[in-house]
Amino acid sequence: MSKLLAVSNLSVVIAEDRRVLVDDVSFSIEPGEAVGVVGESGCGKTLSALSILGLLARGLKIGSGAIRYLGNDLLQSSDEELRSIRGNEIAMIYQDPMTALNPVMKLGDQLLEVLASHQNNITNPKKHVLEGFATVGIPDPKRAFDSYPHEFSGGMRQRVMIAMSLLLSPKLLIADEPTTALDVTIQRQILALVAKEQRRRNMSMLWITHDLGVVANLVDQVIVMYAGRIVEVGTVKEIFNSPRHPYTVGLLASLPASDSSKEKLASIPGAPPKPWQVGESCAFAPRCGKAEEICRSKRPELSGKTGSSVACFFPEGALR
Amino acid sequence: MSLEVDGVVKRYKVKAKKSTISALNGVTLSVKKGETLGIVGESGCGKSTLARLIVGLEPPTEGSLTWSEEVLGKSVRNSLKSHHSKIQLVFQDPYSSLNPRQTIGSCIAEVIKTHKLRAIDAIDGRVNELLSVVGIPMDMKNRFPHQLSGGQRQRVAIARALASEPDLLVLDEPVSALDVSVRADVMNLLVELKEWFNLTYVFISHDLSMVRHISDQIAVMYLGRIVELGSWSEVLNSPRHPYTRALIDSIPDHTKIQGIDFENVLEGEVPDPANLPEGCAFHLRCPIAKASCRVEVPELQIAKASHLVACPEVLK
Repeated sequence: MSKLLAVSNLSVVIAEDRRVLVDDVSFSIEPGEAVGVVGESGCGKTLSALSILGLLARGLKIGSGAIRYLGNDLLQSSDEELRSIRGNEIAMIYQDPMTALNPVMKLGDQLLEVLASHQNNITNPKKHVLEGFATVGIPDPKRAFDSYPHEFSGGMRQRVMIAMSLLLSPKLLIADEPTTALDVTIQRQILALVAKEQRRRNMSMLWITHDLGVVANLVDQVIVMYAGRIVEVGTVKEIFNSPRHPYTVGLLASLPASDSSKEKLASIPGAPPKPWQVGESCAFAPRCGKAEEICRSKRPELSGKTGSSVACFFPEGALR
Repeated sequence: MSLEVDGVVKRYKVKAKKSTISALNGVTLSVKKGETLGIVGESGCGKSTLARLIVGLEPPTEGSLTWSEEVLGKSVRNSLKSHHSKIQLVFQDPYSSLNPRQTIGSCIAEVIKTHKLRAIDAIDGRVNELLSVVGIPMDMKNRFPHQLSGGQRQRVAIARALASEPDLLVLDEPVSALDVSVRADVMNLLVELKEWFNLTYVFISHDLSMVRHISDQIAVMYLGRIVELGSWSEVLNSPRHPYTRALIDSIPDHTKIQGIDFENVLEGEVPDPANLPEGCAFHLRCPIAKASCRVEVPELQIAKASHLVACPEVLK
């Protein structure tokens, strides 16, 4: 299968002092595939996603690498070309719909604006927007059309965001923690909605989340990031049933099991380092029980077969 | 000694809208000394309001709260201060609950001074002791909150709460803002502290897996009422109330790979607490609601010893 999106050796740096935030990140997404990126705050998962859309904040820039969408390098594309890809081809939903929606503009107008500013052959924009509202389960689309964001609950606002992102039938949807700010029963509704639309449209998805439960249930492929780098890649079964990187192992062990004994939770001592502080060593070495001399003097590279690799000198399950 | 919450109602007037929000609509529960009560529910269910009342930050509109027979929230200024030393609150976000311009050492020392718990020359030693109890190296004493990691800040907030030598800690989403790998550490610390200091906990969270881990008893709240109350194993392993079931089903479970049942999702949203529905507050979303549920407000009834449920339908 041909790749829809291929990110290779991507690095993101702070423009001023070239401190590295994302380091040598490579992954790819195939048509219809759902990929999850998991990691804790500051691990570079959101920056990697924003890089794809050319939406890095001022002060940050791409240090090196390539992001190919259907073969074309987005990093070499003009603003004009990027604009035609954002929204039309690749869309994104964010954690907090209240900051992503314009608070002083009616919802209908905001969605119409999306259609007006992107090339498309939709003949009746208003009808298209109303259908979009109905698709995402907004009870009264006509009323929603004339409402402002503050008149809606968090869950309904997130539905509006999803309707907006799907307006132009993108081939890839990037979801950056879209349910983290929501209550659990509402979170479930939104996850179900996005999963259903993904299947119906055979759309590719990039889920960015810190919630391993979400990833386990929604994606095919999992990427685990730590301190700006990818530490492990695998199918969802491989990652959850036989994790190989000590960080992945620790992360899974620190979650209280649902079959509940009340034993002490396994924990990972310490806290993640800043990506630029790591230097020539494994970023996880200071917190790792298996670390040896080589881990503190050399950086482990991702290795293994395609689609299943680990960046560790002593991965779980390997002979020593 | 125990915490007794009896028929507590809390209403807030919203002047701009000329309406009243009912945050708590008759909550009764008790927590024995040394036990942990976990409170779960979604935003607007009243769990944080209950926390504020237990700590005595506000008085209840109706009903009463007592800790070891002392009435909470109605006291005059002086005795309120003694309450504050016995019952402490730990908030979700230590970044906003710690003074950003105060070193962590002086922030803890302040509590000891306010409650006059140590002689002036013994305060410094006590601060060191508290920091070591929560696992913060003493040489960090002169740092400011922004120089600490999220997990360390929450440890400092816990040390600060312990500084007044409390009996009861109300923990309002204490690990929700922390990264996954750090959460387990803070949870383990809370479990240890409880045993060392013989504390009683009220642990409030929307995260059922954390509540399961730490609680002896669990109360499930929905729109200002307790809908299910019982031992943790009863409530979580054999939930009776349709809302508790939906809540448990809604949690993405990392042990079930690609196993979410997306067809069976609880529909609708939590109604506006300023405009509560008649009858059972859950009937609009309930899969088993009958006509009578729209009229009568269900009371908590005994389903089993140590297990109360506010739903007549499941008890039939």
